[in-house]
Amino acid sequence: MDWVNALVQGILLGGLYALFACGLSLLFGVMRIVNLAHGDLAVLAAFLAYATATVTGVSALWATVVVVPVFAVLGYLVHRGLLERSLAAGPLATLLVTFGLSIVVQNLLLESFSADSRTLDVGSLVSASLRITDDISVSYLAVLTFLLAAGVLVGLQLFLSRTQLGRIVRATSDDPEAATLVGADSRHVYGIATALAFATVALAGLMFAMRSSFDPNIGPSRLIFAFEAVVIGGLGSLWGTFVGGIVLGLAQTVAAQIDPALTLLAGHLLFLAVLAFRPQGLLPARSM
Amino acid sequence: MTGINSEMSRRNVLRAIGLGAVAVGGGGLLGACGGLKGSGGSSSGALKIGYVSPQTGPLAGFGAADEFIVKQIREALRDGITAGGKKTKIEIIVKDSQSNPNRASDVARQLIFEDKVDLIVASSTPDTTNPVADQCEANGIPCVGTIAPWEAWYFGRGAKEGTEFRYTTMFYFGMTEITNCFVSMWDRMGTNKKVATLWPNDSDANAFRQGFPPVMKRKGYTMVDGGSYQNGISDYSAQIAKFKGAGAELFTTTPLPPDFNTYWKQAAQQGYRPKLATVAKVMLFPSEAEALGPLANNIATDVWWSPVHPYKSTLDGTTAQQLADNYAKDTGKQWTQALGSVYSLFEIAVSALGSADDPRDRKAVAQELKDMKIECMGGALDFTAGPVPGVAVQKLAGAQWRKGKDFAWDLVIVDNSQVPHVPVGGDLLPTG
Repeated sequence: MDWVNALVQGILLGGLYALFACGLSLLFGVMRIVNLAHGDLAVLAAFLAYATATVTGVSALWATVVVVPVFAVLGYLVHRGLLERSLAAGPLATLLVTFGLSIVVQNLLLESFSADSRTLDVGSLVSASLRITDDISVSYLAVLTFLLAAGVLVGLQLFLSRTQLGRIVRATSDDPEAATLVGADSRHVYGIATALAFATVALAGLMFAMRSSFDPNIGPSRLIFAFEAVVIGGLGSLWGTFVGGIVLGLAQTVAAQIDPALTLLAGHLLFLAVLAFRPQGLLPARSM
Repeated sequence: MTGINSEMSRRNVLRAIGLGAVAVGGGGLLGACGGLKGSGGSSSGALKIGYVSPQTGPLAGFGAADEFIVKQIREALRDGITAGGKKTKIEIIVKDSQSNPNRASDVARQLIFEDKVDLIVASSTPDTTNPVADQCEANGIPCVGTIAPWEAWYFGRGAKEGTEFRYTTMFYFGMTEITNCFVSMWDRMGTNKKVATLWPNDSDANAFRQGFPPVMKRKGYTMVDGGSYQNGISDYSAQIAKFKGAGAELFTTTPLPPDFNTYWKQAAQQGYRPKLATVAKVMLFPSEAEALGPLANNIATDVWWSPVHPYKSTLDGTTAQQLADNYAKDTGKQWTQALGSVYSLFEIAVSALGSADDPRDRKAVAQELKDMKIECMGGALDFTAGPVPGVAVQKLAGAQWRKGKDFAWDLVIVDNSQVPHVPVGGDLLPTG
């Protein structure tokens, strides 16, 4: 029964990792930007929601409804004001810009919110769970996170493959110059992709903040799992990211069942194994 | 979304990610400067005390009260002290270790060589206290540290049984005190004597892994070990299943604060509620209790200082309660245990400088520190009677987090068996 529990909890944990990795995957897939500020942006979203909930008195769940669109707008502005300029200078410049952004966000948060740890208060939902058997309980919050991850990834995939704007994003991603020649405004298109990525990272940050606690310095430690989920699943593939997150979550919980000391190691080893033997990832992006 | 550009070779991608990993690891190194500034106008001939603590970075919670304490001390010492037979001003220079041992070492050197301080005090976790003490020992500057388990401070700096540091001293508690504190609470709670232990693989928790089992065995407790997991994991279902399966009614842990938050919420989701949870290293600060919400109720922890401790300042007679009240009035924040400790660092420094024949004689001042017996804001501290030379040990009370009056959560003293002079504020109640 313990093993079944490990599998169930692993899949649910994978949902969180996948949701976290989604924005990273999108930015990389479309613009080849490795966003080192990813974890810190998630924490920034959590603080924004915390501030919204505290100031207005609305519940954390409602604050989510405010913060996610705000983050999408922020994403667009960050792209037009910051990332766009660095893209021309090559991948190293964007890497440094996002690294700088990471430090700026951390320290702005420390200055304005202090080092205290916080949580997004969701009332009794935090400990509510569905008891399936004596040994297996499924947290509603974890199920909600998993469903959000699935919804967001499916939604994004459909957006990219089925809609006019999605096709333009793909076209721009494949060849910005050619896309511009036929009338696509690559800067605007990239801005929209960044906005989407920021919205998903905000969502991930909020779900994480409800599930655990956060402080201004916790961002980078979450980034590594997102990286691993993206690489395991396959760079540039959203389906892959979903699968990668779940595989990573499963590797961790199943290893913990054998020996808790192996939890993180198992995830890292899997990540290395994928890099060594299947560098294109489990579900690689379709080649053009 | 479609494939990666074929021009973007795999090597480039991997290189970018490799750089990413390096940058993630190095994030802390470039943490911001800032925080408190050292005092400005220095009067010539003033005695200088350097203070190093983590004011930014992951451990910044410990340094939150520093600005207030330094202000209080400066106020209390505005007329200077009598040292070496004449009236002397005291200047305090504050440095931020940024929660980083290398930075702590650097700022200690700055204090010694650029500011030419006469004494250094350091607080909050071995990451700051140890490198500062090492610099002081190497350069012959008297030093007092606190808020680091004494074993980590002493053995962590390469001392062997019988080693005596010449210039460096500290006060805090060690494994014996915390074991006594937790076990005396366990003894009072009628349980099946099965203790679930959640100890990660880090130096703090490994000290517990060594220190607790012999005492547990002697007292008839069985240990249900959650395994030495790595810090930062996101899921504790394996550990929780094990604790539940074994029916462990007691629970103890020494984790990182965000990890504890994750664990405790998940344990509630999975229906594991121990009768009594005694936690170390976490739930020290009110913000952590607030972050847990109702789940924080009756979690027990160790307390070395609180406003109800019957202690007062040697500088101006301020009581512990007054210090906490002033802090609340001044900053709008709730007291933390660091208040008393950091305050006492300066009391001890001033006392040593004042009682030495020549306050600028480093050896004499260091000897005063090692011979110090003082009843101060941090309680009665005896540096001559410690487990090793130069260490004064503080005894611990047991306390539980309860719904508070002025603030959301209060730390209520529930067990004073190790410190009978501290009044108890409530009964020991089940956590679950």
